[in-house]
Amino acid sequence: MAADQAPRYFGARVARRQDDRLLRGDGRYVADISPAGVLAAKFVRSDEAHAVVAGIDIEAASVAEGVKEVFVGEDFADNEIRCVSSYAGFQESAQPILALDRVRHVGEALAMVVADNEYVAEDAAELVVADLEPLPAAVDIDTALDVGCAPLHPGWRDNAFVRRRATTYGFNEASSSAPHRVSIELHNGRHSGVPIETRACVAEHDPGTGRFRLHTTTQIPHLIRAGLSWALGVPESLIQVIAPDVGGGFGIKAQLYPEEVACCLAARRLSRPVKWVEDRREHFVAAHHSREHRHSVTGYFDDDGTILALEADIAVDMGAYSVFPWTATMDGGMAMGILPGPYRIHEYSVSSTSVCTNKTPYGAYRGVARPAACFSIERLMDQIARHLGVDRVEIRNRNLLADGDYPWRSPSGLIYDSGSLVESLDAVLALGDLEGLLKRQADARTAGRLVGVGLAVFTEQTAHTTQEFKQRGVPIVFGYETAKVRLDASGTAVVSASIHDHGQGLETTLAQVAADRLGLDLEQIRVEYGDTEQVAYGAGTFASRSAVLAGGAVTKAADAVADTLRQVAAHMLEAAPEDMVVETGRVSVAGSPSQFLETTELCRLIYQRPERLPEGVEPHLEASRTYDAHPGTGAYTNAAHLASVEIDPLTGKTRVLSYAVVEDCGPMINPTIVEGQIFGGVAQGVGSALFEEFLYDEAGQPLSTTFADYLVPVMSDIPDFQVAHLQTPSPHTIGGLKGMGEGGAIAPGAVIASAVEDALSHLVGTVTVDRLPLTPERVLGYIDAANGNGTGP
Amino acid sequence: MAELSVSVNGELTAAQVDPRTLLSDYLRDHLGLTGTHVGCEHGYCGACTVLVDGASVRSCLTLAVQADGRSVDTVESLASNGELHPIQQAFKECHGLQCGFCTPGLLMSVLELAATNPGCGRDEIREHLSGNVCRCTGYHHIVDAVEAALNSVREQGDGS
Repeated sequence: MAADQAPRYFGARVARRQDDRLLRGDGRYVADISPAGVLAAKFVRSDEAHAVVAGIDIEAASVAEGVKEVFVGEDFADNEIRCVSSYAGFQESAQPILALDRVRHVGEALAMVVADNEYVAEDAAELVVADLEPLPAAVDIDTALDVGCAPLHPGWRDNAFVRRRATTYGFNEASSSAPHRVSIELHNGRHSGVPIETRACVAEHDPGTGRFRLHTTTQIPHLIRAGLSWALGVPESLIQVIAPDVGGGFGIKAQLYPEEVACCLAARRLSRPVKWVEDRREHFVAAHHSREHRHSVTGYFDDDGTILALEADIAVDMGAYSVFPWTATMDGGMAMGILPGPYRIHEYSVSSTSVCTNKTPYGAYRGVARPAACFSIERLMDQIARHLGVDRVEIRNRNLLADGDYPWRSPSGLIYDSGSLVESLDAVLALGDLEGLLKRQADARTAGRLVGVGLAVFTEQTAHTTQEFKQRGVPIVFGYETAKVRLDASGTAVVSASIHDHGQGLETTLAQVAADRLGLDLEQIRVEYGDTEQVAYGAGTFASRSAVLAGGAVTKAADAVADTLRQVAAHMLEAAPEDMVVETGRVSVAGSPSQFLETTELCRLIYQRPERLPEGVEPHLEASRTYDAHPGTGAYTNAAHLASVEIDPLTGKTRVLSYAVVEDCGPMINPTIVEGQIFGGVAQGVGSALFEEFLYDEAGQPLSTTFADYLVPVMSDIPDFQVAHLQTPSPHTIGGLKGMGEGGAIAPGAVIASAVEDALSHLVGTVTVDRLPLTPERVLGYIDAANGNGTGP
Repeated sequence: MAELSVSVNGELTAAQVDPRTLLSDYLRDHLGLTGTHVGCEHGYCGACTVLVDGASVRSCLTLAVQADGRSVDTVESLASNGELHPIQQAFKECHGLQCGFCTPGLLMSVLELAATNPGCGRDEIREHLSGNVCRCTGYHHIVDAVEAALNSVREQGDGS
């Protein structure tokens, strides 16, 4: 049954529920948790990218004062992380908990020192001596795929986890008859989310019951429990995973890591709690990397710029191992699917290779492949516009999907449910004042300055569930989320949700949803999450889906509880249940508002006066529901971004002057939180576009292992944002909601590349910006090329 | 071991510590003041910022013994009688935090800013606070919050 009155909280900019404790320093993050008797773990990591492990001398470390135990690979040889895709031809990797005979990337753990405290553990770790015999390292895509490169895993044919290919029926005819074509090869630097809280976990094992408890920095507690169950060979009923406050995730904390398994195993061996807090240098080499795509893209188009066919060859540098629960195929698959983007493209031919290299394994990062896909298709649109001498906005408007196109079946088989692409592009040009930007650009050029304007449009699949994940070949098909709503005798409610809130504000937005459905005040709702013993099974928080799926589950569960309220109130008031309305603080008879029961009174009655309940009504107010946003093909959020930049011609440093976003994620539960997500995503995207990159030398040595080498945007790098919303509801979801957690991070690479290219476009030579991040060195290379000196970056 | 006597949030604490003990570890592990967070241990991210005799320091780069005889303020000192400090209140009202991990260090930097330059505008705020990295917010709402906080501190005359 639907809510009976207009929403009080849905759509309201209410302040967040969790902020008081976080502002007071009362947040409880994993590093803050120290059970009695806890020991500290420190990992000894490989400083070779690829080597035979000839021996590890742990003798001196083992006898050091305060050291409890030093573990090496063979201690945990029965355990491994193996995540197998069902795609044909997928080659499996087994990631050891501690390295066995081989190390495959710098940062791979060789030994684990467990000691009285972190200081002692770090001292002892220095005493461990690993005898590593270096092997040639495959540090880039081409080297790894070269026929002369030995496979990195035993029994493999070559260094591709998987190769995939798809072509539409009419592609060959459309492409061969097209009057024009433009090709471009695009490179995205390797980087990741780099949350300010590093990874950490505290493992406990109770020898009496055999139960494990793991506090860990994760976005996906239940999936971690599933992965641990596989890796430890222990049923899930013996494993409790708790993700308390988590200091940012961005996808990096949505994988099972060997350290989590190692701490569990060590806790069991030692019968003591074992705690590990990653240091920042470890994070740069051992927490999962992301984003390193190379796309070769060709657009085939007619004289007015209408795209007739699209061709793409995608390669992703997945690092050394396939990660749980995503496998090593996720980025390649996602890029194949979404690369045609927001355009009316019918014919498409695409191939994708997920490449195994001697680098840190590759996992999820906000946007998963969509930033690279957006970069490719938007760079291609800019090149087509330039080829034909058509304006960048005009070329997009000629190809963007419009109202009559939905539902749109993309040439990769995605079903776009809805959108407002043309409108969002229009709106962002007004919001960001394109006219004013162009005038200021003209003035700046007159003064000899390099100012450019860039834009991009995208659509993103969000809240996709079973239908999507079953096609991704993942071992666990995660689609739904679960919520339990319980009203207690004092008339307050607890919402237990299978998602996790690590900044997204779900602790607040889910309370907003429940409060409206139950007619309660926000203060009467408590939202809990993160503990597998406390909340029902669900996948967790990733992929722009939690507000939609958990919001839907909360709606369903709260409505079931509200139905019980109606039923009992009807009985007490001698009215029909269908005539009862749930209002703020009470349940009344429709049309006769003086006949009502207060909700608190009803709650007390239901629990404490069961003899007064109608027949068949159980004395509890609790419901658990799952929600999968049927048909599961996704609710499509779209946005348009417009930015201006200025380049310092002497240093090559690019500064973002303005940034405007018009986003359409359907109806918003809390617009302030939506805007915070957009701003945060855009800033991370600016980092992707200008600063962030894990560089390696030819031997596979990482060159970015501190914040002095790996630059993230700081406050003075980021301008004030302009933001506006369109609200096109999804036909598939409860309330028409669409996901939006990742969107901000998708377009900035494309936007800033477009702006940098524009800033250089009046110089003598033509340059094509084809590489991110646009570090000062690279921009100087483009400036030199544009001036006719040198060959570019 | 070294003798240490330091005032933390107005209370005198005394301990015997290994001389290499970091101030951040002293606060978190010895005193249980886990509001101070450690994000990089190389002095870059600013999450561990505390005030020593009123000036911001990276507690991950400061030895506990360097604070001997001095006065340290952490995020736990801000709220009083259960009420959020105006800076905390401004962060709450302006959505100036998401995951909350960088927040305590940022609040302490803002406290210093409120004491030293309460009249500064958005650009100066951005420059002054560029030593506190936030990965969640994109900074816009933080700058809103700091602007509001400085306003309210100025109004209350607490800023000098």
